[in-house]
Amino acid sequence: MTTFRIGADIGGTFTDIVFLGPDGTLHTKKVPSTVDDYARGILQGVTSVLEAEAIPASQVSEIMHGTTVASNAILEGKGARAGLITTRGFRDVLEIRNLRMPRLYDLHWEKPPPLVDRYLRHTVNERINNLGEIKTALDEKEVRSVVKNLLAENVEVIAVCLLNAYTNPVHERMIKRVIEEMAPGIPHCISYDVLPEIKEYERTSTTVINAYVMPIVAQYLQSLRAALDTGGVDGPLMLMQSNGGMMSAALAAQKPANIIESGPAGGVVGAQSLARKLDLEDIITFDMGGTTAKASLIERGEVTRSQEYQVGGGIMIGSRLLTGSGYMLKVPAIDLAEVGAGGGSIIWIDGGGGLQVGPQSAGASPGPVCYDAGGESPTVTDANLILGYLNATSLVGGELKLNADKARDAFERDIAKPMNLSVERAAYGTHQLAAANMIRAIRAVSSERGRDPRKYALFAFGGNGPLFATGMAQSLGMKRVVVPPSPGLFSSFGLLYADTEHHFSRSLIATLSEVEPDRLASVWSELESQARDQLKAEGFPEERIDISRAANMHYKGQIFELTTPAPDGEINQQFCADLQERFGQEHETTYGHRAGPDEPVELVSAMVIARGIPLHPRVPDRLMLKGAGEGKSNSTRKAYFGPDHGWLDTAVVRRTDLSTPTDGPLIVEEYDATCLVPPGARAALDDNNNILIDL
Amino acid sequence: MSTTHHADYDPIEFELFKNGIHAIADEMAVTICRTTYSGVLRDNMDFSTAIADADGLMVAQGLTLPGHLGSIPAALESVIRHYGDEMQPEDIYIMNDPFDGGMHLPDIFLFKPMFAQGERIGFGATICHHADVGGRVPGSNASDSTEIYQEGLRIPPLKLFEAGVRNHTLWSLIKTNVRIPVQVFGDMRAQLSACHLAETQFQSLLDSYGANKVRMYMRELIDYAERATRAAVADLPDGEFSFEDWIDDDGIDVGKPIRLYVTIRKQGDSMSVDWTGSSDQVKGAINSTLSFTKAHSHAAIRSVLPSTIPANEGLFRAIDVVAPEGTITNMVLPGACAARGLTGFRMGDCMFGALAMMLPDQVGAASDGGNTGVSIGGYDDERKPYIYVDFACGTWGGRPWADGLQGNSNMFANMASQSVEVIESEQPLEILAYEFETDRAGPGEYRGGAPYRREYRFLEKEAVLQVRSDRSDIRPYGLYGGWPGRPSSNALNPDSDSAEVLPSKFNITIQSGDVFSHTLAGGGGYGDPLKRDPAAVLRDVRNDYVSAEAAADDYGVVVDTDSWSINEAATIALRSALALQNGAAEKIAWREPGEEPDAESADASTDGSLDSEGARA
Repeated sequence: MTTFRIGADIGGTFTDIVFLGPDGTLHTKKVPSTVDDYARGILQGVTSVLEAEAIPASQVSEIMHGTTVASNAILEGKGARAGLITTRGFRDVLEIRNLRMPRLYDLHWEKPPPLVDRYLRHTVNERINNLGEIKTALDEKEVRSVVKNLLAENVEVIAVCLLNAYTNPVHERMIKRVIEEMAPGIPHCISYDVLPEIKEYERTSTTVINAYVMPIVAQYLQSLRAALDTGGVDGPLMLMQSNGGMMSAALAAQKPANIIESGPAGGVVGAQSLARKLDLEDIITFDMGGTTAKASLIERGEVTRSQEYQVGGGIMIGSRLLTGSGYMLKVPAIDLAEVGAGGGSIIWIDGGGGLQVGPQSAGASPGPVCYDAGGESPTVTDANLILGYLNATSLVGGELKLNADKARDAFERDIAKPMNLSVERAAYGTHQLAAANMIRAIRAVSSERGRDPRKYALFAFGGNGPLFATGMAQSLGMKRVVVPPSPGLFSSFGLLYADTEHHFSRSLIATLSEVEPDRLASVWSELESQARDQLKAEGFPEERIDISRAANMHYKGQIFELTTPAPDGEINQQFCADLQERFGQEHETTYGHRAGPDEPVELVSAMVIARGIPLHPRVPDRLMLKGAGEGKSNSTRKAYFGPDHGWLDTAVVRRTDLSTPTDGPLIVEEYDATCLVPPGARAALDDNNNILIDL
Repeated sequence: MSTTHHADYDPIEFELFKNGIHAIADEMAVTICRTTYSGVLRDNMDFSTAIADADGLMVAQGLTLPGHLGSIPAALESVIRHYGDEMQPEDIYIMNDPFDGGMHLPDIFLFKPMFAQGERIGFGATICHHADVGGRVPGSNASDSTEIYQEGLRIPPLKLFEAGVRNHTLWSLIKTNVRIPVQVFGDMRAQLSACHLAETQFQSLLDSYGANKVRMYMRELIDYAERATRAAVADLPDGEFSFEDWIDDDGIDVGKPIRLYVTIRKQGDSMSVDWTGSSDQVKGAINSTLSFTKAHSHAAIRSVLPSTIPANEGLFRAIDVVAPEGTITNMVLPGACAARGLTGFRMGDCMFGALAMMLPDQVGAASDGGNTGVSIGGYDDERKPYIYVDFACGTWGGRPWADGLQGNSNMFANMASQSVEVIESEQPLEILAYEFETDRAGPGEYRGGAPYRREYRFLEKEAVLQVRSDRSDIRPYGLYGGWPGRPSSNALNPDSDSAEVLPSKFNITIQSGDVFSHTLAGGGGYGDPLKRDPAAVLRDVRNDYVSAEAAADDYGVVVDTDSWSINEAATIALRSALALQNGAAEKIAWREPGEEPDAESADASTDGSLDSEGARA
């Protein structure tokens, strides 16, 4: 039987739906997101493709879903009314955070409000020390009274995080049992189950976030399931996690902390798979939309992950140093560097006469000046239109008409005149400066971590990514740019490539040269069996479970850890020595130096990555795009390529025209994106329908 | 400042250059932060990075501690004075001497000169606070040293590398004079990495622009910052604005308050900061270098200017700072300075006070007064030394538009707290509490931030406990009708029969089982507390930041704690009664209404003859 797999990605304004048939046929659909009930929009999109293509709903084998529903709940403060139970003396760990603020010299700084108000944070008298020994036993009577008080406050969910609970969950489990007895319907979670790792603030915050979004995510998944069932689509629903792996909807409802950064992960995972097919081991992904641009690094075919990040942390250079801007979440996530540069970024001149791009954005409304919808301030998109890169009449298949005169007038008035530049020079400068800002995101994931970007290919997608990618690659000295099919919908398309994957970790705190290997072995084997159980519950038999180990380590005394893969096989002295050597090598790669062999290396936490191996390859090699209108071909228009080249007659082509390799300057127009190939670059189409641009 | 551009100047190219050079300085900072060993660097971010031009003028500074703002030019000036034209490629210069361009001994500078076609074109510059540089006490940060000679190893400007060859003599000398060479050298390696990175990245700027344009754009960047600063300064009100504040004492002359006094003069597009009137330098180790005083002056002003202005020589040119020699704001030999951080915090409070006189709608009341340093050190059974150093800070004063932040680092520190669980896993300590205190914040229409209490139980046999705190006598001031924050406190074994109240600065021996408790000072309030929105008071009572009693006494709000509602009639009556009783609101409040001046210091600090009344344009 012919079956289809669906990728569905919810964004702030649009929900993107992609259908993939077994022969590689792709049907795509963009529908407005239905903010009051996202499930409705998804069903609309799915149904409209089913109807248009006359596909029976029963032929949908699987729905892969990326969603911002959890992160939106946090950003908008619309999660559940949560209670927190913690150790006496530590009522304010959640609010004090780690003191640091993300901006210097800012008298107007406001901390993000705690997700649980102080009067809903209750303490119990108990104490477990760092070795897991009970110093003050927890009295069940006190627990009952605390739970009763929280229930009297009508909390919808309860989070529990006790001091040092990562070493011994006995008190947290007692509280869990009491909650289950006293209030069987109340969702709850304990920190040992969410994140059994040292550092009370990180663990408390992660546990609270998990609790805070638990009811809303569970309810959303239920209503989505119900909607799909109504439409006769009964294939399993899988959720994209922040780490780039899929998890079942049932599991996501229990551990929603894992799907907070579900949104941007799809594109990176898709890029990873496509690049593997091209035998490109090392790529940098670049995803640029209307308001932000994101970069991530794929090395030796593997995505890179960070072990913690700030939800809603906003975007700023150096945010990796100055934390505190958002809500601390310590779960593995694809490592993305983000800058506030997009098509809508507003261009302005500061008090010193300098040109600035963003971070303010005209957004979708009023949007750039050229949308003619009330926007007054020139934006990056206006610059691209003035430069001839964008077609005033063919954006989104001609659905959006642009007013180039208005854009020129605004540029002339606000930028070119005050700076004493021609309009095209000012617009080109804007384009370059926006590119320079985004280059900092690329540097953040590459050179700041000891990786030379020139050794990587740039993989560009998002509505605006292909417009900037080649110019950026040129200034970084990169040699190749890849633009996948349907770049504007690539985040949803990428979902189809993802495998089921889970990460488990535990704090260890052991010096590698001194630790008893048995101690490591018991932790790792516990994690491994936990991982196997999880995958088996999701229907993977033993032979389709792939388990690998990783370790977070640092030189004793360092604060930041580096994650490296750990050897397979028996855990013995040799294992420890190998691990230590791998860490030294990674330290040298990342920072350019390593300490002597006597310097103690500390293993901070053990990790297990468990992957469910799919029965068949997820996506056929050759993709055939249907439904997304093709641009017109064989026209030329003038486009400006800087003072050296000036205005050039530039061919405007379709993607398919590139089956004959063609030299730039070129503009490739598509339904959902425009790809710019500047002079000096050469573009061609490969067997998988990717545009390859060589520099 | 040049108002005309060079003939080759291109405004777009300039922006790209600016972006590029700041990226280098930031990437240097990332390099240091991620490779560092010491807690001082990792948690307090007590380091800075910069690119300077051939003359040592700072062009771009990386993410940095505000207290280091502008520390690099003074140090580079000294290095250039000593070595001038004999510098060559692959040299690395090192120094820390506060009497020759340095800040205090733990702050070690490393500089790498960079060359283009054989000619010096700039410097990669780093400064890091090191965990130990020898001297009387572990950490080299004692506040009770009385001469620089007690404080550790003084390094004049020297070559750590000469043309790429390591200076073994100097290396060995450092190694034998610091307690924890592994950490110190680990952090020096981080600084070296950052300097090398600066050179590599700077080379790529040279490749794309050529040396002449790089020189020109570095000059342009400085001019640009000066222009932007002056444009912003011109928008501020003209006039002369003075403010004074006090440090409780220096820990040596106990009970003798130390005065900081500042006058900001602003006319047109120029501005000066004058510290004349501040106390003579003191015996305790809290004296400031001129560069440190400048840093705090510039940092405070920066916070009322647009954030897009780059921190470089142009900013310093536009704002002149004067501090008389021999005062606590510009010490001379043999002044001790290891713990001068305290003076920096108070200078910050002083600056913000003066700025609040100038800009009543933009600047808030006093913060907790900066961080409290706690160090506990000793030897375990196997004679292995341990040392635990903790810094605590966390409340801001009420602001003209919002309450003071709480559980947020002081602006001049921007430190991170250490995890309690990590402390317990590494140190012979149990942390019993880390929690906000009720009724300690300064009442106001916008109240100060609530301070927290941190409580430590000591688990080894015996140790020395050293504490440097302040604001236990002279409280964080309130503004424009707001009340001062409640003072800080120190106690040994509270809640026991042998409870003992401790002064703000002390050095004692503790035994196994002893509990030390420190509560920060509360932030000052802004505006009359009787004008505070009763709903905000109710919320504070509900959350235990304010008790129901204090809600009535301080805010005149009567809260029913059974129904969590406000008794409106009783509130109106109580508020009018309190308004009569409290009398006219003070512009700057050191005491609460009706409170008698008791300490000598409080008298001194509110002496009407002093110029603390602010603007006299």
